[in-house]
Amino acid sequence: MICLGIESTAHTFSCAIVEKRGNKGKILSDVRRIYRPQDGQGIHPREASRHHIEHSSEVLSECVRQANLSIKDIDLISYSAGPGLGPCLRVSGVVARTISSYYKIPIYPVNHAIGHIELGKMLTGAKDPLTLLVSGGHTMLAAFKQKKWRIFGETLDITLGQLLDQFGRSLGFASPCGKKIEELAGKSEKYIELPYVVKGNDVSFSGLMSAAKRISKNKEDACYSLQETAFAMIGEAAERALSFTEKKELLIVGGVAANKRLSQIFKQICARQKAKFFVAPIQYSGDCGSQIAWTGLLQATAKKGVSLKDTFVRQSWRLDTVQIDY
Amino acid sequence: MKLLKKGAEGDIYLTKFEDHTAILKTRKKKPYRHPQLDSRIRKQRTIRESTILSEVKSLGVRTPLVYRVNQNDCTILMQQINGILARDLVGIKLQSACVEIGKITATLHKSGIIHGDLTTSNFISHQNKIYAIDFGLAQKSIRTEDHAVDLRLFKEILGSAHVDVMDLLWEAFLRGYRSVVGPERFNKVLNHVGIIESRGRYARME
Repeated sequence: MICLGIESTAHTFSCAIVEKRGNKGKILSDVRRIYRPQDGQGIHPREASRHHIEHSSEVLSECVRQANLSIKDIDLISYSAGPGLGPCLRVSGVVARTISSYYKIPIYPVNHAIGHIELGKMLTGAKDPLTLLVSGGHTMLAAFKQKKWRIFGETLDITLGQLLDQFGRSLGFASPCGKKIEELAGKSEKYIELPYVVKGNDVSFSGLMSAAKRISKNKEDACYSLQETAFAMIGEAAERALSFTEKKELLIVGGVAANKRLSQIFKQICARQKAKFFVAPIQYSGDCGSQIAWTGLLQATAKKGVSLKDTFVRQSWRLDTVQIDY
Repeated sequence: MKLLKKGAEGDIYLTKFEDHTAILKTRKKKPYRHPQLDSRIRKQRTIRESTILSEVKSLGVRTPLVYRVNQNDCTILMQQINGILARDLVGIKLQSACVEIGKITATLHKSGIIHGDLTTSNFISHQNKIYAIDFGLAQKSIRTEDHAVDLRLFKEILGSAHVDVMDLLWEAFLRGYRSVVGPERFNKVLNHVGIIESRGRYARME
């Protein structure tokens, strides 16, 4: 089975073609164009969706060309149906519906967050992990139980990605700021005390962000202290969830998974809790078409595609509400 | 000393105090945390836990007796409660444990204490009585918001660890909670739980 997956929940527009043979998946192509706001600014949904529309046909044809296929070789289409920014989501919806109805190819709406998790599992070989999804849109700990991904801890306000981006932007960096913050943090070892808020398995970052902005005179020390505090918080929440669920594997997915310090912390946690550590490979940890294509392929093993009138997009669509039948 | 559990927060050992068995809870250094941050957290929680364990006894909440506290290596030596974790109970026993947990939570809240880590793993059933443990994240607060966060956490845990009977258990917990705080306060806190949930990422807005 060959699936074309289209991703456009936020800043990334991506098309990917993935082939599934048995339980194995192979990414044949994965092409992306990323919307970049001006330095110090965040995503403007209308501008981002305009960017996606302008690049959609070029990304699509490049994706098909790189896979060495024609559209007619494609067995199914999946698209990111949420959660995300409405104007952006509608782009993948429109592109998917157009191809589906013109070429009569079955179509599948995919939950973006589940896409991150499923692709991470496929690429790392994790079987039944506690998954930490950390990105601009999510900071949650999820584990699979009784047909759904259940949440064992999450942020009560902003996400780890938002924390890094909004803090970074206040210093005038270009979004996404994670890489720049990691770089600066690596140059300091001076820890300045910041609020550390863990509530059971949940975390709260908003107070930490305000406090970090107040100490940002020395950028390196501020970045270092922010990373150390935020990562220790999510580390503790994860350690609690691991101990509670008694899962033997831990998987990190999402854009922030690219951070090396985060991985380093989680390796140590896993060693302590005797769990195997997995992290999505850096080129597929952030938003990409492959996550949508692979999840579409999984869905196709359990059900038929939806009819066009049911090809919704939903800005708010929590992953713990999605029933998994495959 | 025998290691009983390597918890997230600390390691639990079975040991002796005078001539009876006791539990030693030790908050070990976590090498992945900055030493300054690490020692602040460990020390603060050790002191807080031991203080509140003893303090809530006067409210009639059953907790292990604290024998000895060491601030330097962050250990608490306490009474062993030899029972079953509420998490491992089933059926009607689990349900009535949840009523009891609701009552305990309400009793704490009425005195301005939040547990901070309400899960079914932090309550032990011993001779049909429920004991509360693990006060490391406990805090003093009379704010509705903080009380509601306590309740929401318990709900979250039910939804993930006891999925099939979640509604029954949540209802049982609320019944217990309401019976202690009274209807007026109950409605206020429960309403606030909804507000916190709606702040969640991608929570339904309709």
